[in-house]
Amino acid sequence: MTQNNAPLLRVDHLTKHFPAGGGKVVHAVDDVSFTIRRGATLGLVGESGCGKSSCARTIIRIYEPTSGSIFLDGDDISALSQKQLLPYRRKMQMIFQDPYASLNARMTVQDIVAEPLRAHHICKSRAEEREMVIQMLNRVGLNQDHAGRYAHEFSGGQRQRVGIARALILQPELVICDEPISALDVSIQAQVVNLLRSFQEAQGLTYLFIAHDLSMVRYVSDDVGVMYLGQLVELCRADEIYARPAHPYTRGLLSSVPIPDPVAARLKDTVGLEGDLPSPIAPPSGCRFHTRCPYATPMCSEAAPALREASPGHFVACHQVNG
Amino acid sequence: MQNASRWERVAGSFDEADRLYSKPRSFASDVWFRFRHKPTALVGLIIIALLILFAVVGPYLTPYGYDDQNTKLANIPALMSVYPAPDGQYIYITKALKLIEVDASGRLVRQLKKGKDDSKNKVTVFPYKDDMTVTLDYTAQPVTIQDQNGNRIEKAKTVWNRSYLLGTDHLGRDILSRLMYGTRISLLVAFIAALVNMIIGIFYGGISGYLGGRVDAVMMRIVDIIATIPLTLYVILIKVCLDDGMISIIIALSSVYWVDMARVVRGQVLSLKNQEFVMAARTIGSSTGTILTRHLIPNAMGPILVTVTMLIPSAIFMEAFMSFIGIGIAPPLASLGTMCNDATDALRTNPYQLFLPALVICFIMFAFNFVGDGLRDALDPKLKK
Repeated sequence: MTQNNAPLLRVDHLTKHFPAGGGKVVHAVDDVSFTIRRGATLGLVGESGCGKSSCARTIIRIYEPTSGSIFLDGDDISALSQKQLLPYRRKMQMIFQDPYASLNARMTVQDIVAEPLRAHHICKSRAEEREMVIQMLNRVGLNQDHAGRYAHEFSGGQRQRVGIARALILQPELVICDEPISALDVSIQAQVVNLLRSFQEAQGLTYLFIAHDLSMVRYVSDDVGVMYLGQLVELCRADEIYARPAHPYTRGLLSSVPIPDPVAARLKDTVGLEGDLPSPIAPPSGCRFHTRCPYATPMCSEAAPALREASPGHFVACHQVNG
Repeated sequence: MQNASRWERVAGSFDEADRLYSKPRSFASDVWFRFRHKPTALVGLIIIALLILFAVVGPYLTPYGYDDQNTKLANIPALMSVYPAPDGQYIYITKALKLIEVDASGRLVRQLKKGKDDSKNKVTVFPYKDDMTVTLDYTAQPVTIQDQNGNRIEKAKTVWNRSYLLGTDHLGRDILSRLMYGTRISLLVAFIAALVNMIIGIFYGGISGYLGGRVDAVMMRIVDIIATIPLTLYVILIKVCLDDGMISIIIALSSVYWVDMARVVRGQVLSLKNQEFVMAARTIGSSTGTILTRHLIPNAMGPILVTVTMLIPSAIFMEAFMSFIGIGIAPPLASLGTMCNDATDALRTNPYQLFLPALVICFIMFAFNFVGDGLRDALDPKLKK
């Protein structure tokens, strides 16, 4: 496949703050920058509440960014109106976390999957639309018998495949997967992830894959970004982050991944995470992780570390990492 | 393994796992299934159907219009205690001491003309047929009658009024016909008012909930201000400014009762708009109109329907109430309220005239409340069995 080397998605100093009442502000996403190459997958991991989903929703412009820019295929889409955004919506789609809440219970699968076609006036006739929908359903492993059914008649994995069909029927280039497997059974998770991978291979899709399950991220991602309290703390190739995690938070996260082999588990040096995620309304000063970091020094609570290249292709935001 | 032989692999591929064996069941059929398993709701629905039939088809079957009056046959009840006349016919004495000739089957024939009235002895002579006369003696209650030979006539039997099945009112109008027309008007007013309220409420609440923020705050404060004063008062005030008649009563009812609906819709939209399927519609690029009409309102339809079915009886009651106090439907047009109002004057002598329209109002109220109750249960997915 011929590809240009310009990144498909470039996020530049993206910030999203939510008003929390009483003049307070939730720092959901703070100064996040990354790029995704065409055809690659960036895995975004972090604890619940660290701003992964907010980041995704801001990129796809369900939330209005507070500041920063989003470049899709070279065009800045961060300031476009919803109307101007319409052509770009064909290029990026989203797969949602909850396969129960993300499908309208009052619509048949046919209507759900056809909705993007209707919104963009792609089909000239109902017959053509139906044909496209059934073709898409076949590709995700469903068939025309399923088209007339309502979402509540399906299992979680089937629903998620309907969600994937809806997202991919417009043949987007970028697909943002917002924890698409976290609500599914383990056996179904693999099914869905393999489906996503087969689409990537067939169409050269680019994924932003959000998850809190590190083992699954390792399987799907080329690059991995780790988020903590709205900020990106580490960004590098997937194998690198598992082999040589640099940021103390990443190490803590990795040590929390259960290991099936008890002998190997005993040998592993545990740098478990202690304490809870601080409130994003009043994030700690300096390095946001210093309240839980075992290596924190006074400097950490004063100056915020910038994301810098510690070793080639390995970006870390930590004062204690030498590079 | 010995047990292995007891287990056999079932033929079939992995694709079988994705097949659905259940029949497709739409949301509507699901609701209907739950609705019809609730006896009160079903009874309510049947009563409503019968009432609609009564109001729509009924007037074509009765020979009387709502304003056909015959004052000679006023205030005659449905059940009459009759005296045998000298020639085999029967005579019914009204509360106003008029004598009505009734045939054996209960049909009213005529009112007897008064002959000689001896007010000193408190007797009145009515010429009957040929040389036969009937003498009414009203010296003491209960009154008695004698034939021309001076023999006292005893009450023979009770017959059903065949001419006016439910009797007549104080102007001699057929109560059954007026009940039909009255029910028709009450239901019509209620349905139109409910429909208008539903549309206004959906729009107002939908916009308020979807836009949210400051718009929502202002729009809902307006609703609060309207709702602080009892809605009845508004309706009466608006009605005073308008003419009598059906249109104005519909306007009066429609202009304030939407506030409940607006609140319900707004609450629903507010909770639905942050659901993932609405976000999905936005990422797809669906327009605001599509999101409102295809996603938000269909999902809010349950509570909307329940509110409407609860709104209908209150609109009916309101219409009846206003007609009762004399600012509703103008006579001679019949409405259940005006019929009750007309009947209050003769409450002591002819209580049936009040009882019948009141009974119909009760039926309507019960039926709609039962249906509303049943719908609420049927539409609540948490009660799904």
